[in-house]
Formats: sequence, C-alpha cells, structure tokens
Amino acid sequence: MKFRSQRVAYLFFATSLLLFSLQIVFGFIMGFAHMGYDVLHDVIPFNAARTSHLNLLVFWLLSGFMGAAYYIVPEEADRELHSEKLAVIQWAGLVIVGVTAIIGFQFEWWEGRKFLEIPRPLDYLVVVDVLLFLYVVGRTALGAERFTTTGSVLLVGLTAAALLYLPGMITFESQVMDSYFRWWVVHLWVEGVWELIMGGILSFLLIKLTGVDRELIEKWLYVIVGFTFLSGILGTGHHYYYIGAPEYWLLVGGIFSALEPLAFLGMALYAVTMARRGGMNHPNRIALFWTVGCGIMSFVGAGFLGFAHTLPQVNLWTHGTIITAMHGHMAFWGAYAMLVLAMISYAMPNMTGRKLFSGWAPEWAFWISNVGMIGMTGAFAVAGIAQVYMERKIGMDFLAVQEAVEVHFAGVVLAACLLTVGIGMFIWNFVQYGLPNDEAVGQGG
Amino acid sequence: MLTKSQARLFFIGGTAFFSLIFVMLTVDTLRQIPERQNTKAMTASVVRGKTIWDDRNCMGCHTILGEGAYYAPELTLVVNRRGPEWIRIFLRDPQAMYPGKRKMIQYDFSEEQITDVIAFLDWIGKIDTNGFPPEPDLKPQVALAKASVAAVSDRPAYFDSVCTACHAVAGQGGTFGPALDGVATRIDPVALDTWLADPQKVKPGTAMPNLELSDELRAELVAWLSTLE
Repeated sequence: MKFRSQRVAYLFFATSLLLFSLQIVFGFIMGFAHMGYDVLHDVIPFNAARTSHLNLLVFWLLSGFMGAAYYIVPEEADRELHSEKLAVIQWAGLVIVGVTAIIGFQFEWWEGRKFLEIPRPLDYLVVVDVLLFLYVVGRTALGAERFTTTGSVLLVGLTAAALLYLPGMITFESQVMDSYFRWWVVHLWVEGVWELIMGGILSFLLIKLTGVDRELIEKWLYVIVGFTFLSGILGTGHHYYYIGAPEYWLLVGGIFSALEPLAFLGMALYAVTMARRGGMNHPNRIALFWTVGCGIMSFVGAGFLGFAHTLPQVNLWTHGTIITAMHGHMAFWGAYAMLVLAMISYAMPNMTGRKLFSGWAPEWAFWISNVGMIGMTGAFAVAGIAQVYMERKIGMDFLAVQEAVEVHFAGVVLAACLLTVGIGMFIWNFVQYGLPNDEAVGQGG
Repeated sequence: MLTKSQARLFFIGGTAFFSLIFVMLTVDTLRQIPERQNTKAMTASVVRGKTIWDDRNCMGCHTILGEGAYYAPELTLVVNRRGPEWIRIFLRDPQAMYPGKRKMIQYDFSEEQITDVIAFLDWIGKIDTNGFPPEPDLKPQVALAKASVAAVSDRPAYFDSVCTACHAVAGQGGTFGPALDGVATRIDPVALDTWLADPQKVKPGTAMPNLELSDELRAELVAWLSTLE
C-alpha cells in the first residue's frame, strides 16, 4: 500500500468476513426449516433468521464497500486519509450498530419491512455513522490536488447510497405507500447507486491488475454507469407491477428492466476485455480471478436471471415465489459479494506485505465457493419452478406444495456446504496474511 | 470515437433525464394511489392492523402483495380465500390447525388485535393490484384431464397398448386415425366386428392394418367400443 492510513481497511474487511460467516449460519437455519427441520423454531423462528440473514448481508457488503473506499480513496487522491482516527471511530460505530441490530432482531426489535428491518433509533445512528464515513473520505478527496474519475464515481455512489437511505425512514400508514418508497431504497441501491460503487471498485482493480491505460478504463466506466441509470431508475417499475401502483408501470418497468442486463453485460465485457488486453500477467492472479468472476457472475445472476423474471408476463406468476430467492442469491453473490472478495484479495498482500496469493487454497476457495453458489441457484430454480406450476398455475395448497419441494432444499443445503467450504478457505487465507504491516507502506502493488 | 468527456455527458445527461421522468411518474402515481388503494376504507382498525403486521415482522415468513419471504402463504387474498372466521380461529392457536406441519409462531393475540389484523388483510385484498395474484390458469385443464381418465378407465388393456397408438378417446391417444369418441353412434356392433376382422376387405387401401385379432379379443373390443356414445 502506498499510504499508512490505508491499513484501516483491514478492520472493515475482517468485519465483513466475520458477518458473512454469520450470514451463512442463519442461511443454514432457513435451509433446514425449508427441508422440514424447523428445530430452532422456539429460539430463532424463521422470520428472525430471515431478517438476520438479509441484514447481515447488507452490513457486510457495506462494511466491504467502506473498507474498499478507505483503501482506494487515498490512492486516487494521492494522499493520506484525512483522519485515520475518525475512520477507526466510524468502524467501531458501524460494528456497534450492526451487532445491536442483529441481537435486537432475536428479540423482535425490528420493523417488519423487508431489507429495512433495522429499528428507527438505530437508523439515526446509521445516518450519523455514514455521515462520518463520508466526511473522512470526502475531506480526503477534496483536499487533494487532483482526484480521479474512478475515485469520483465511487464517492458519488457512496454519497447517493447514503441519501437514498432516507426514503426508507419515512413512516406510512398505507402498505402501498410503504412499499413504493421502500423500493426507492432497496432497488435504487442494488440496481442503481451500488452499481456506481461496483463500477468504481472494478475500475480501480482493473487499472491496478491489468496495467491498461487509466483513460481508457475510466471512459468505459462512464458508459457503463450511464447504462446503469438509463435502465435502472425506471427499472424500479418492476417492483410496482402488483402493489397498487398504476398499470403503466407494467410497461415502463417491463421495458427498462429488460435493458438492465445491458449494464451488467457491460461490466462483464469490461472486466474480461481489460483483463485480456493487460495479458493477465499480474502476479496476484487470484485477485484478477475474483475481479473478472465478479463481472461475469453479476451478468448471469443480476442481469440474466433478473431479466428472466422481471418481464410482467412472467412475473405475474413468479412474483413472491422461491424464484425470487433464486435470482437474489446469485445476483448479490455475483455483483457484490464477489466484488468485496476481489477487493480483499487485491488489498491483503499490499497491506501486509505477504504474498500469499499463489497457493492452492485461495484458488480452490474461488472455484469451490462459485460452484457452491451455482448449485444453490440451480436447486432454488427447480424448487421455484415447481412451486410456480403447482401453486400458482394449478392452484394446489401452499403447504402441500412446500412439502413437495422439500427435497430440493436438501439440494440447496448440500450446495451451501460447498459454498461454506470455499468461504472457509478464503477466510483461512485471510487470517494467514496477518495484520497490516508498516513495512508494506510505500510499496506499490 | 467516443471521448471521455462525451462518455461523462452520456452518464450525467442520461441520469438527469431518467431521474426527471421517474419523479414525474411518481407524482402521477401518488395522485392515483388514494383511489387504487381505496384510502376511504382505511379505518383505524386497518392502520392498527398494519402496525401489528410490521411489529411482528409477518413479512419475515409471509408475502403480501407478493413481497416478503417465501416460507408461509401469500396473504393478499387470504380473507377472500379463507374468510374472517377461519382466520380468527387460526390466529388464536396457529399450531392447532395443522398439527405436525410447518409452524407459525403463537402470538397470543387479543381478540381486538385479531380483528385489526383481519381488517388490515381485508383492506389489502381490495387494492387494485393489476391482477395479482392471478387465478391458476391450468386448474381447469388439470380437472378435465383427471375426469377424462376416470371416464375411460375400464377400457380393455389391448386398446391402451395398441389402438391408442393411432386413435384417441377423450383427448388421449394418437391422432393418426380418427378419434373414437361416440363411435357407437356411427357404426353398429356387427359392422365394427366385420371391420376389425379384416379392414382391407371392407375398405381397400385403408391405413388400418389387419391386426389378426382372436375372436375373443375382437368381441371384447367391439363390446367396449359400443359403449362409446
């Protein structure tokens, strides 16, 4: 790493991996419940497991994005962070809010609004914490003599993500209005401004890992994030088909959702083309694996599988079924989980000065976890398609259908075991790197 | 060739343009929602019901308007489907209704709270959702398929293994030969017997082969075919 203060990213990355592990644990609880073994019903009922699973995901991804920003912004601004101390305080705040929220969920301290279950008092703490984060990275960027496009796109994405958290804090008496504005947060995050963050991080990684000219990479970055908003903003309409909003959302949402894969196709082509152009000869091959993998899997999971069930004619039948879980798992994995893992794989050798990227373990971690996630997606797809036909198209009773698809959740759980082995190997590799080292300061990478 | 500043313009311009359209559509949507969601029917009980819905995180297992988790039934039309009385009995003790099956948490709701939850779900069911959830479109066909199988289940085993290769009855079977529904009204048993004994003799050049049936089997087939009126 170039600057000493970049090491603060380590705290965020370690937190990410810890929360990710916990997310997997709650996932298993849900998987077993779907198989008919709801043995923890009296301790961790399904809704508590589900809420913990989703919010841990959001927390660990945000922690990863923040870590990435603390690592990237100093390099793009060519100076130390404005204040490493504030960054550590901000990290501690994030951990406290996160841990409190997850514990609170087990005692029904929540708002029953999918993805935004964090109770209101903690929402305010999140806002304060994020403002502190934006202050530290913002001051770093503003105080610089020059600041790059990559850094700017990343910061605009992070700032917009913070602003878009606010519509989720409005209280509505009507379920329809509640739902309408809840998607301003959830959709405009994952299919909007998070893609800016993704674009910024991918661009940084590609510049570092491929050696392709920065101007070229950043030009295409603009084009891709341009496509993101061109399709993603009105693509929000696919959440408005059946919640009580006007009928024209079927048309608007249908058309623009169909364009959404373009942005992800752009990400995939971007990563693959730049990697090929650079000759794929960077010594940290594994970081390149995760980077290119992220581009490709985001297209498959978020782009293609998203497209497959957001057409109104299809969505009428698949809306609110296991099909959504099928798309959701691979979309978040491809676009955001792999992105954070790519960033960690790239930054760890630079922060610690230890080059532990060439062994068999990190490479197997990549393949095993990906095969596991593909397997899970496949099993979810089979269960989901069966559910759609039996319950929605034929009209069988909900519980009878759920019993019929229990066997496919055995498939989900088996594939999840593979994923867990892969992630376990990734974490083992992470631990072996040890802590950031002052001797690594000033080294390139 | 595209320059970097053109690319930036595409990004900023596109974002601004589509954000503007999104805001305009939102304004129009907010104008239409009161009527589509039937705001007038949102009584105090409905609003209290939503609070219970949120506090208990019902969406953590159920879907409503198709949103939530996929562990428990879709509840948009539940009042229509089950009726308020059923829901009341169920909510008093959810695990008593389906013993040994997937469990819902026992919330010990008061009768007033149950009334509020039902009021909320009833209001939800009357929102104009553009047709969600849809009526099961394959249900009539599945019912039909079951009925027709039952109607012809007493047919001779030989018919099922050989004749159905070309002929259909009640929509099941091949299409190479004519369907045999109502064949008894067109051909009398004696003519059927003559035909089956040697089709070429009755109608030279016909595609129907001489199956060289035994007298016994032929009699069985004729007897059964004569019931297809």
